[in-house]
Amino acid sequence: MIIPHFTLNDFLPVMPVGVLMAAAIVLMLSEVFLTSTTRTYQAIIAALASIVAGGIAVNNAFEPARLVLQGYAVLDPFSSWTTAMVCLGTFLAVLLSAGFLKHRNAERGEFYALMLFAAAGMSLLSLSAEFITLFINLEVLSVATYALTAFLRRGPRPSEAGFKYFILGAFAAALLLYGAALIYGATGATKLVEVSAALPAAFAKSPALVYAGLGLVLAGFAFKVAAVPFHMWTPDVYEGAPTPVTALMSAGVKAAAFVAMVRTFLFLVKGIDPVIPFTVFSLLALLTMVGGNLLALPQRNVKRMLAYSSIAHAGYMLLGVAALFAPKLVEAGAKVGVLTATPLTGTAQDVSVAVYKGLLFYILGYTVTSLGAFGTISALERREDETRGNTWDLERFAGLAQRKPGWAAAMALFMLSLGGVPPTVGFLGKLFLFSAAVDAGLLGLAIVGVLSSVIGVYFYLRVVVYMFMRPAPIDAPAPFRHWTTELALVTSAVLVVGLGILPGTITEWFSRVGMVFGH
Amino acid sequence: MNAEQVLFWLFSVCTLVAASGVIFARNPVASAMSLVATFFFLSGIYVLLWAHTIAALQVLVYAGAIMVLFLFVIMLLSLTDSGPVLHFTPSRIAGGVAVIALFVSLTAVFRKLPTAELTWVGDAAKLKNFGTIQHLGEVMYTQWLFPFEAVSLLLLVAILGAVVVAKPRI
Amino acid sequence: MIQTISTSHYLILAAALFCLGMLGVLIRRNALVVFMCIELMLNATNLTFLAFARERGDDLGHLSAFFIIAVAAAEAAVGLAIVISVFRARGTVNIEEIQSMKH
Repeated sequence: MIIPHFTLNDFLPVMPVGVLMAAAIVLMLSEVFLTSTTRTYQAIIAALASIVAGGIAVNNAFEPARLVLQGYAVLDPFSSWTTAMVCLGTFLAVLLSAGFLKHRNAERGEFYALMLFAAAGMSLLSLSAEFITLFINLEVLSVATYALTAFLRRGPRPSEAGFKYFILGAFAAALLLYGAALIYGATGATKLVEVSAALPAAFAKSPALVYAGLGLVLAGFAFKVAAVPFHMWTPDVYEGAPTPVTALMSAGVKAAAFVAMVRTFLFLVKGIDPVIPFTVFSLLALLTMVGGNLLALPQRNVKRMLAYSSIAHAGYMLLGVAALFAPKLVEAGAKVGVLTATPLTGTAQDVSVAVYKGLLFYILGYTVTSLGAFGTISALERREDETRGNTWDLERFAGLAQRKPGWAAAMALFMLSLGGVPPTVGFLGKLFLFSAAVDAGLLGLAIVGVLSSVIGVYFYLRVVVYMFMRPAPIDAPAPFRHWTTELALVTSAVLVVGLGILPGTITEWFSRVGMVFGH
Repeated sequence: MNAEQVLFWLFSVCTLVAASGVIFARNPVASAMSLVATFFFLSGIYVLLWAHTIAALQVLVYAGAIMVLFLFVIMLLSLTDSGPVLHFTPSRIAGGVAVIALFVSLTAVFRKLPTAELTWVGDAAKLKNFGTIQHLGEVMYTQWLFPFEAVSLLLLVAILGAVVVAKPRI
Repeated sequence: MIQTISTSHYLILAAALFCLGMLGVLIRRNALVVFMCIELMLNATNLTFLAFARERGDDLGHLSAFFIIAVAAAEAAVGLAIVISVFRARGTVNIEEIQSMKH
């Protein structure tokens, strides 16, 4: 019998998860023991827990990359930064929820507990290094998000969205798991490191089995990150979920799924002609960028437009993923994923690191921007017309600049950032990502990316035009005021501008991410 | 034909028939009962694969607990016949074609797999331990600790989620 | 050589079960039946793990199946709760009738 031996180091990567879980349990129990009428303290507990967990994650990001917990998890800058960004997203989403739920008399400790559990799931997903663990952690994240989606009992939409999300998520998980089963059959392992080591031999023996497994795993992930053509129902789910939850889904869930996908495929492409993963990811990126933007174009419903926009942004991130597998880098021997603390050097290596930096910075930028954008529309929703269809119609934004200049300015800022206009974080994210992709030899795809984001500028600016140039309707709703909502929006706005002008330290930190654990 | 072959064909035909019953039965109760039958026949297949522990769990957890939950919900909502089973729309036909294509390609992959002989069976100690609850437990509690703890987190989240979602009002 | 049924047979059975489940998810309208079909897909995955486990003579496949059963139970609890809440909100569990969101 092997007696397991753990040191404190093994638990470093799961410390943020521990903090989140402890706070979630406190919040759960708070509903049992403390039934006061004001529940803002619950949001404060949840927000503080996210800050502490995020701080620990940032601290972990400077640890050298290594396998921990008997090879079931990794500790590396890539996962630690993801955890930090997830915690930032959760912090903002919790603050948005406080006002949103209070306005609807639906503030409950369980809601915040589920949000923290979802964040814990995201963090765990980004550090899983074994298929079954990955699947379980994906379910932790998904189950918490299903429940959050169906949390409100106002009209039929939330439960419908919850159900669609559930079926889609369970279907994707089953595909991923079946792929994992086939890969287990081919290699005899489920730990990614062992799979990677056994793949060349398995590939020589029965390539078709490996391909089938890889295809199914990819399809599962494609559903999770809502890549076109695996995006059906995603807009329905985003529209039907409570808006702060949508914000968390568009930022956190997607980021975690992306990181898990990148990690898995960095291990799984060993022994395969590098052109194949490159072509597949490029194709997905192309379809998702163009498809997401085109589908968003005719939307007059701003929330639904943002849902399609989140698909388009997943397309830009997929462009970064495709760049990681660029034949030019692979042939030059760029090893992003080595298990050493000393970074490799060379031009290809620099490009590879630049792609990672671009990807992480893009995720960070999208997190703060989309939280801000969804946050603004959540404040403009009125509870009276939740059952009616026009809650998020463009007309609702008409003349907002005269009535509430601050809100209009913030929303305009978020729209510009989503469209990639300087001096916002959205612009810098696109700049880093596209220029790294061009260096990696993806000139054509990067041009398509730029062109499709020009389409995007149209529908983002349309919101700005409505806010600043249209007269306000007489029965225009006033945004409800709650200090947590305002704090969240101010934080997002400051980050959008601040990171857009002075990205210095953050990008320098992200450049050390080259030591991602991989092939 | 020896006993293993007879049992394999018996169980697999029954499994597939029962699984088709899940999909094509009009009444949800009939679907649920077909699903129970599928789980039982599958546990027979698991025994043929020398996975006795998992076969027992299959009956206890799936056919026992999960299916009771399903039936309970069906009774609670008093669901009866739900209109025509098949309802063709272009997207459904496309989905059906995609599924058939997937099945054909998977079958082609599996047929071509080199047949590995069970050489490990010669190792008597390994054979004695294979799939026993003692050995599985030993491995689980010494090596699979992280997934085990992750599952416990999942169960907690699932309890919380189920209670929150099923509450009549918030 | 004591094996008479090859691993391929079990794998093809699992593939058939998986595809039946997938077909059900795509064509059925009753939410509960769709959910049952997802359980079929997970069972097919378990069968695949177990078939490969016997071929290789290791326990990894068994442990994987064990954890998948636990996850399926957790998923079932939340999924059925969501079905109940859909029914409460709309009085039906048929997927096509629950389309309040327009494109």
